[in-house]
Amino acid sequence: MTTSPDILEQLRREPGGEDLDLSWLDQPLAERGLRVAPGKRGLTLEDIATSSYGDIPSSTDNNTGRLRGAAPRTDAQRSQMLWGSKSASWSASAMLLYEEAVQRQWSSATDVPWAEMPELPEELELAMSQLCTFLTQVEFIAGDVPGKYAPNISGEFFEIGLFLASQIMDEARHLDVFRKRALANGIGLLQAGPGAIGLLTAQDFTEMASTLHLVGEGFVQSLFRMGEMFAQSEVDKRMFRLAAQDESRHVAFGVMHMKYVVETQPERREEIHTYLDRMEGQLGAGSAQAGLTGGGQTGEALAILLGGGTSETQLREGYMKLLAIRKRQVNEYMHRLEVVGLGDRRQKIAPMMLALLDPARN
Amino acid sequence: MAETDTQEDLQAAPPQIPGIPAPPQLDMSWAKVPTARPPKPKIGAEGFTLRLADAGEYAYAPDHWPYENDTPRGSYPAKDRGLPAPYTIYDKAEVWAENSADLYELAIREQWKPATQISWSTIEPLAGHIEAAIDQIVSNISEQQYNSNAVMMGRLKDISYGYHEVKLYLATQAFDQARHVEAFRKRALANGGGLGVESPGFFNRAVYASFKFTELVVYTNIIRTSFLLALCEMGDRIGRSQADRQLFENTANDLRRHLSYGIEHLKHYLLTGDEQKRRNVRAWLDRGEIMLAADMRRDKPLREAFILALGDTVERGKASLRELRQAQLRKLLRTLELATFPGHEPYVNASLRDIIDNP
Repeated sequence: MTTSPDILEQLRREPGGEDLDLSWLDQPLAERGLRVAPGKRGLTLEDIATSSYGDIPSSTDNNTGRLRGAAPRTDAQRSQMLWGSKSASWSASAMLLYEEAVQRQWSSATDVPWAEMPELPEELELAMSQLCTFLTQVEFIAGDVPGKYAPNISGEFFEIGLFLASQIMDEARHLDVFRKRALANGIGLLQAGPGAIGLLTAQDFTEMASTLHLVGEGFVQSLFRMGEMFAQSEVDKRMFRLAAQDESRHVAFGVMHMKYVVETQPERREEIHTYLDRMEGQLGAGSAQAGLTGGGQTGEALAILLGGGTSETQLREGYMKLLAIRKRQVNEYMHRLEVVGLGDRRQKIAPMMLALLDPARN
Repeated sequence: MAETDTQEDLQAAPPQIPGIPAPPQLDMSWAKVPTARPPKPKIGAEGFTLRLADAGEYAYAPDHWPYENDTPRGSYPAKDRGLPAPYTIYDKAEVWAENSADLYELAIREQWKPATQISWSTIEPLAGHIEAAIDQIVSNISEQQYNSNAVMMGRLKDISYGYHEVKLYLATQAFDQARHVEAFRKRALANGGGLGVESPGFFNRAVYASFKFTELVVYTNIIRTSFLLALCEMGDRIGRSQADRQLFENTANDLRRHLSYGIEHLKHYLLTGDEQKRRNVRAWLDRGEIMLAADMRRDKPLREAFILALGDTVERGKASLRELRQAQLRKLLRTLELATFPGHEPYVNASLRDIIDNP
């Protein structure tokens, strides 16, 4: 759709029209004529990623604030912070996952049936409060870390920035819901640990996807998905189900980013293995909280919840189930690696994880 | 929704695996730490809100936060806290706004979904130059919000855990802005048009280059949001359809929260310091106004788009643009008054004053 020369001439001749330039109307530099209609899921990002607006460049010299498809100007201010390479941050699932995130937002205030919270035996309430102290501590690190990279995402790849915003929103809700859970039933927050600050050391987006999405959030997702095992009420089950749903999106984003990198930059495989080496070293059962749900106070709290109490029999059962959770975490981790194209990790995986890994399916 | 595994699936797990250490003896020292026992909350109509949860000692946010890792406020800090984090903001005055917890919950209650809650099918074909004008305006809004969003997300890692309400609120702001980027882009591509011309980017640059968090808030939540909110409040004169009006109304509603955080933060910043803080704010306002004026002066496509969209003649469009600019400046001055920074009008930078009077 262009504006006819007659209209332009008429506008210039109108009283007050003498100073109008109108070249942006006369010769638009951005594609025009799109008429995108909403589909069954409404008007989505995928719907509007069409024609030239859907051409995601593999590299760009767009160093200004220009969003993909907008017309450039020669005097626009530049920033060298913006990454020019698609592979630096791209994830093919970003548009879909962003829209899903928008549709599936929930409220920790009203979507968890807090009023139905039952009184629990004190040892179980203490254990749940300890688990939630751990979770509220680490969850927003998964907001701080992706946020760190948001200023680097060029407008050519703006969908990545939007997805990161949805992840940050989700992680805020997780910090919030687990804090509320610890404060909901009379115990409060308990022992904090060393936390997950190490994830903030990431110096590269793919390093972040490896350490945060593939390992950190992946292990937490597996835990949340098995929340039925250690949740003590409908309140807790609902909380873990909702959080698991969010974590699934974050993990999927990271998996698809890494798949893209492994496919388009196979020379980075060994580098990625080094990130995983580091994370697997931190995941040993001897570490209190970097053990991500496995050891120390978090592990003990989980064992009490899983076994239903602190008697010798209950603890034995609790630790047996915790081992089964760890096994599930490690096997789901390996599955993600296989999807990414790093199935050879099986030969490099840390010994303690190897002990939990099922044999390869051939 | 992700499927949830059941207990039965895992009953057959082996009790011990070679290579895995045996479980430790029961310790439970974590259960004996001297943290506060909160009162049982009385859940109200708005559910279990953050303000309700953070009762008693848990509500207290100290002026200085002493822990350099992600220790949650109210928990018992670990002796071994591992790596000190890269946070740089440990003083409440640098980020605090008394209404953060309430704005956080409000933002969640008021979230809207651009894909499905805008009546996209109500948009009718328009004359080419009017459609192009609307597209230029919405392209500019999309670009502004991408810039504010990206830079604000990047600052979250600076804020220590003592002020979790602020981190949570800012997450909602970033998510709001993401939806603005998305929604206005969709509008540009929905009705036979396309995106317009990028902005000169002077103000974007100022946002990127802000040294201090409060400086960033002055640029994004005070100056930019005041101007954008005034624009959205005139959205019924720009939009031509129910969808357009919904876009502007929903965005305005979000922006009022962003402005509210900005006002309360600036108020807290000013009330917890000496005269130097007022001089800082004056300097930030001056710089922001210069950059804003530079954009407005150079952005011919946006100026002309406003003229075409706001009036049925060029003259009336120009008069309406002047009205818009004056409304934007009034909104900024009122915002500053509410933030306990009154009397700014004589100090408005001359370049901004000029473009407001001669848009």
